[in-house]
Amino acid sequence: MAQASVPLESLRDGVAHSRAESAAAKIPWFVWSGLVAVSSIAFGLYWDISWHMTIGRDTFWTPAHLAIHFGGILAAFTCTYLIFSTTFGHDQAARDASVNVWGFRGPVGAFLTAWGGVTMVASAPFDNWWHNSFGLDVEILSPPHFVLGLGILAVQIGVLVLIVAEKNRAAGARRSKLTRLFLYLSGLGLFLHSMLKSEYADANLMHSAVFYRAVAIGTPTVLVAYARASGHKWGATIVSSVYTVVMLTFLWTFPLFPAQPKLGPVYTNVTHMVPMEFPLLLIVPAFVLDLVLNRFSNRGAWFQALVAGTAFLAALALVQWPFGSFLISPLARNGIFGMTNFAYQEPISMHQLAYKFRLDSTRSVFWLGMGAAWIAAFLSTRVGLAFGSWFLRIRR
Amino acid sequence: MYYQGDAGPYKLVVLIRTPQMIPGVAEIQIRSSQPGVRRIKFVPVYIVGEGSKYPPPPDVLMPSKEDPQFFSGKLWLMASGSWEVRIEAEGDKGSGAMAVPVPAAARNTLPMEKGLGAILFGLMALLVAAMVSIVGAARREGQLEPGVQAGSPQKRGARLVMAVAFVVVAGILTLGGFWWKAAAASLSDRMIYKPPQLFVSLLPDARMTLRIGESAWHTRRPDTVSTRLIPDHGHLMHLFLIRVPLMDRFYHLHPPEDQSGAFTDELPALSAGHYQIFADIVRQSGFPDTLAAELDMPETPGHPLAGDDSGVSASYLSPDANGNLVSPLSDGSRMIWEREAGSLPSNKLTWFRFRVEDADGNPVESLEPYMGMAGHAEFVRSDLTVFAHLHPDGSAPMAAVSLAEASLGKNSGASFASGANSMPGMAMSGMPAESRFAEVAFPYGFPKPGLYRIFVQVKRNGQILTGIFDARAD
Repeated sequence: MAQASVPLESLRDGVAHSRAESAAAKIPWFVWSGLVAVSSIAFGLYWDISWHMTIGRDTFWTPAHLAIHFGGILAAFTCTYLIFSTTFGHDQAARDASVNVWGFRGPVGAFLTAWGGVTMVASAPFDNWWHNSFGLDVEILSPPHFVLGLGILAVQIGVLVLIVAEKNRAAGARRSKLTRLFLYLSGLGLFLHSMLKSEYADANLMHSAVFYRAVAIGTPTVLVAYARASGHKWGATIVSSVYTVVMLTFLWTFPLFPAQPKLGPVYTNVTHMVPMEFPLLLIVPAFVLDLVLNRFSNRGAWFQALVAGTAFLAALALVQWPFGSFLISPLARNGIFGMTNFAYQEPISMHQLAYKFRLDSTRSVFWLGMGAAWIAAFLSTRVGLAFGSWFLRIRR
Repeated sequence: MYYQGDAGPYKLVVLIRTPQMIPGVAEIQIRSSQPGVRRIKFVPVYIVGEGSKYPPPPDVLMPSKEDPQFFSGKLWLMASGSWEVRIEAEGDKGSGAMAVPVPAAARNTLPMEKGLGAILFGLMALLVAAMVSIVGAARREGQLEPGVQAGSPQKRGARLVMAVAFVVVAGILTLGGFWWKAAAASLSDRMIYKPPQLFVSLLPDARMTLRIGESAWHTRRPDTVSTRLIPDHGHLMHLFLIRVPLMDRFYHLHPPEDQSGAFTDELPALSAGHYQIFADIVRQSGFPDTLAAELDMPETPGHPLAGDDSGVSASYLSPDANGNLVSPLSDGSRMIWEREAGSLPSNKLTWFRFRVEDADGNPVESLEPYMGMAGHAEFVRSDLTVFAHLHPDGSAPMAAVSLAEASLGKNSGASFASGANSMPGMAMSGMPAESRFAEVAFPYGFPKPGLYRIFVQVKRNGQILTGIFDARAD
């Protein structure tokens, strides 16, 4: 009868305690909402790019645009509610963990996200005017799209800041849970970041300095900042794994959906949704970043940046150079590596150009470019370390 | 673009208003001259080149509720160049197809309206202020444990960070501004159509030579526009000389191309004065260009007019002209404009019908084709900002029409399975030489209000006759 001798009081205490623990471990609703919003934007953007390569006809109401708008609106509403409820509500704990902007109170991330939502909305009339004045979209990177991109970036970073502030105040199971969510969202951040550079990430550029320069500018910042902010030993590796999984999933699933161009001139007779290229093998330089930063964690930030930036670029070149050769070879012309995917605007006579390296004009141009890539990798890593440290200090 | 043609058993009049900017969305209106057309499918493809091989699926136009013979919709033109719109009409008498050439070229970029500019500027100012404040708040309180009040180090730090943030944001905006200007200038430069220059010089013996200038816009589009010329109505160039500002002399000449690529011709007898020159040419793709130049001409004794060349003296174009309905012709007959009562609205499809009658008022029934067409008409606005060369088929050059018709037979997509051979009415461009008639009609709409002079050219008993009418469009 040993069990019967356990005092009822202590049993009650135990239940109450575990309830409190699970309540404490509970992820706040706005974190989930932010995650859904950023996922929707990221998926919508990929879908939109594929839409432009496959179908072409573009209106405000394409499903891809709706996914982006939904994400932006969900993020903006979530954060506006959060700010209003903190400012005018009676939740003292929420008020204590807030900052003051123009008399309103809320977490830093909520303000950033709301700013991003408004910026996304503001880009719409600008984009519309741009279309009327300079023609419907012919290029990804136009000034109004840049404004939209800034808005999306602010929403994504805003939600990350929301999560990281919660994580930095949390402990135990709750902290690990928030870390996992943070790493997932960071992976989406890298995915969004990579879309911006897709024009420079073609396989036939992988033996030119421009490719390495394009990756060296900013990509180490994203990897290092998020890895450091996550506090996870293998943060950069996990973040790049999320990117790789998302890219591969889309590369392999988008072509399963039949589609055809709805706009002329049609140069390639596309019959299914065209995905983006095979992901970069960032997982390897990211792993190297983790290794180097773990090894030299006790050294100064500039030294860390120099070693880690150099190692990142070296590892990138080491994997991407031979992989580029593989991608342009006939072995990669299949659904797995996606080297047979061409947008409908690409003339069939130009397809063979995808299988020929676009090399730098001279060797010195190449090495000058690689030198610039090296400086970019170093500085980008340093900026990443600074952002990572800032992320780690955020409490509200 | 105005066009009249036969889609199998259906006679259709097509109006296509191309947008100022390409890529853009054009407006397409189609009227069937008889009832029974249930639906019309249409799809744009390039007339020639790789872009003509795979037509996207066609769009469908349904008849308007008020007028079952009228159809309208939107036509997406994603690049400049020589397009054709393939049209397939379905109805009581089965289906039939035709192809309408549509030259697409970006004409203008739009400046930003003041209201929109003010709203966007306001938003920008708000967003800048908000971002600086958010960064400040993050520095002041973002790193404090919950409940801790910001002290003076945090406040000082926040002020510094806000100043830095403002400088950074201002820098980004300045760079963005440069980029915007550069992007806009480069887009304008690459995309906006500019007709090539026309260099004109007078030679001894009353001869004139014309040289077509280089055009980067054309050379950048070797397939979809091209720089090579093809003959239209048997001539590489249709040259119009109009004495301005009174438009009292009008010449329609056809200088041949010499081996150097220049066009040299003997001039007819010309009165001295300032002349406006328009030269119509058609590129290998079917893309038409109207080149313009001005020239001061001395009194020129000249050579007699021959072949398809013609010229006419007219009364002055008066700014308060109310318009005439009768124009005497050089062979003693006269041309009557069968103008409907009421005003002439601009931007609206109007049929301009002209009848030639003898001195007793009887229709002559003896007009013959002039360069393969029942007639040619030139619509010129008094300030010379509009020059349109029309045929009874509309404003498309016949050379482009022939190319489009040929491509319809050659590259028909799934929805346009029946080729040109199976379609009556698609068989030929121009009209049989033995045709005789007394009337000629042109589909056109004035592009903007103003005073216009219309030169209507027909042929009778081997002689080219030009009727001249003035009209005010509202």
